[in-house]
Amino acid sequence: MSLETASRAPLTFTRHVPPGAYRLLAAIVLALALTFASDVFPTWGNLLNVLRQTALLFLIASGLTLVILTAGLDLSVGANVALSACLAASVIKGAGSPWLGVLVGVGCGSLVGLFNGTLVTLLRIPSFIATYGTMWILTGITYYYMGGETIHGFPPGFRQFGIGYLFGIPIPVYVMILFLAIGTFFAERTVWGRQVYAVGANPEAARLSGVPVERRLLLVYAVSGAMAGLASLIILARINSAQGDLGEDLTLPAIAAVLIGGTSLFGGSGTVSGTLIGALILTLVVNGMNLLQINASWQPLATGVIVLLAVWIDIATRRDTD
Amino acid sequence: MPRRALPAAVLLALCSAGPALAENETIAVFTKNQTNPYFQAVRVGAESAAKALGVNVIQYIPTKPDSIPEQLSQVEDVIVKKPSAIVFVPVDYKALVPAVEKINAAGIPVTNITDRVAGGKLVAYVGADDYNIGLSTGRALLKELGGKGNVVILEGVKGSLTSTDRVRGFNDAIKEFPNVKLLASQPGNYQRLQALQVMENLIQSFPQIDGVLAANDAMGIGALEALDGANRKAAVVGINGSREAVELIKSGRLLASGDFNGFVQGCLGVEIAVRNLRKEETPKEIILKPVVIDKTNYQPYEVPIEQRQCPKLSETATK
Repeated sequence: MSLETASRAPLTFTRHVPPGAYRLLAAIVLALALTFASDVFPTWGNLLNVLRQTALLFLIASGLTLVILTAGLDLSVGANVALSACLAASVIKGAGSPWLGVLVGVGCGSLVGLFNGTLVTLLRIPSFIATYGTMWILTGITYYYMGGETIHGFPPGFRQFGIGYLFGIPIPVYVMILFLAIGTFFAERTVWGRQVYAVGANPEAARLSGVPVERRLLLVYAVSGAMAGLASLIILARINSAQGDLGEDLTLPAIAAVLIGGTSLFGGSGTVSGTLIGALILTLVVNGMNLLQINASWQPLATGVIVLLAVWIDIATRRDTD
Repeated sequence: MPRRALPAAVLLALCSAGPALAENETIAVFTKNQTNPYFQAVRVGAESAAKALGVNVIQYIPTKPDSIPEQLSQVEDVIVKKPSAIVFVPVDYKALVPAVEKINAAGIPVTNITDRVAGGKLVAYVGADDYNIGLSTGRALLKELGGKGNVVILEGVKGSLTSTDRVRGFNDAIKEFPNVKLLASQPGNYQRLQALQVMENLIQSFPQIDGVLAANDAMGIGALEALDGANRKAAVVGINGSREAVELIKSGRLLASGDFNGFVQGCLGVEIAVRNLRKEETPKEIILKPVVIDKTNYQPYEVPIEQRQCPKLSETATK
């Protein structure tokens, strides 16, 4: 398959070890270290806790992975989460219908994504700037709409989506597994998915070999937006409220999860499952610091060091086996 | 005569000594962000006082919450526009000192509210200090626990003055009760989602948590959600007196919330600025007494801020 070679050509993967293995190793090293450091860490309750927290970050980062695979960036995901959450919240409260709220949340997220995609493809604005602009527009709309207020108190049925359990496993974890499967299948087993890699690896070559580059770009931004919309619903169900600053502190960790997960900022290489490991590593860091009572002042420093170590383990082990 | 014009007319009649500039006076009000309900209360308070005094208010709010460069450039813009007076909440008490000095140099009188700016010439300062709010709110929780038990602190943004002082207040309250054990003090960055997740993690570590001291309401309510999710019970206090917190106090889920009374600070800031313009005597400093809202006194806080009345300056000035 010619697309396969187009997307994999610049890479030097070793033949026997799947590329995600080294990143998984970094996560395992971190988890082992925490097991030695804290009695509480390896308990079932805490592990479920970590997975539930990972789910949220993964959902935002999974859509973003596709964008970064095309060598693009979506800086508006956090702001998109905030706007989608606020609109969905007011529909859930106002119209009294959680389902309508879900529709509005995912719909708003997707429309924002399509808007980003249009800026990038039709107006040819570089994605960094296009989505940076969108971020401000969304933030402005959200602040104006909310006027400093909070919308809170959602129906128990809707809240199950964020706080509920099924067979002892938190519901967001099922959502995470579902989208891991869908994302991995889409990226690696479908023609459209392979075309996304091809666009990222070399847009000109992709165009010449008949890939509809613009339409694939539109698709990835729309998916990234839709996933932000979906994540906003889980956040609503989890924290039982929406306020204008909900999306702050969500964008950078999501980008970091994608990059720690091994997706290249230059496009064309990376996996959705890698992003899951990236999200897991970032979540483990915070979980570990809370369990070990690391002083609040030291936490940013510890986060930085561990993120660098995780990426270094990945690079170093890959180099050794090459 | 329309109702809103009445207080202004009375005031004009009272201040026969000063020149009657009422129609042209414009007060520029600076707040930190559009997201924290506290600053919304400040703005509504300012509008409310302005209406009563017959002056105009223009609000200046950084689009990026708490952005120092943005507030600096807003100050520069305002100096060009020359409002009659400025009511100022610095996004950072040190970094905005040069901005206040520029306002001074332009000859515009500036009244400082909420966070006390570290320099420059001020008409007056109106505020409630974070340390005492933390101390009073912390004491309320520890008394409820009967002076014993295990507690955790949820800190705000590390390095911010508000969080540092509130947490110091919490810690000093804990020191007053030797049978209270502080299990952990972890950052939730004033964000509800982060506080929820931190609390979920702490619940794993500690089988018995009796009380949670959160440096704002959003984090306190996030902690409540985490406790509910784990089927655990603990007394929780927050700070800010937000509408949601008041509802939860009423329903008995939240123990208490320390209140800065942003509405009153907005009222008094504008009133002092206007009285100063009209050459009336004004207090140099008003430190509002910390109020801890709990199930015994929440009723007045149920009134939406838009419908509240500004207090009389003479009633607050003595404190």
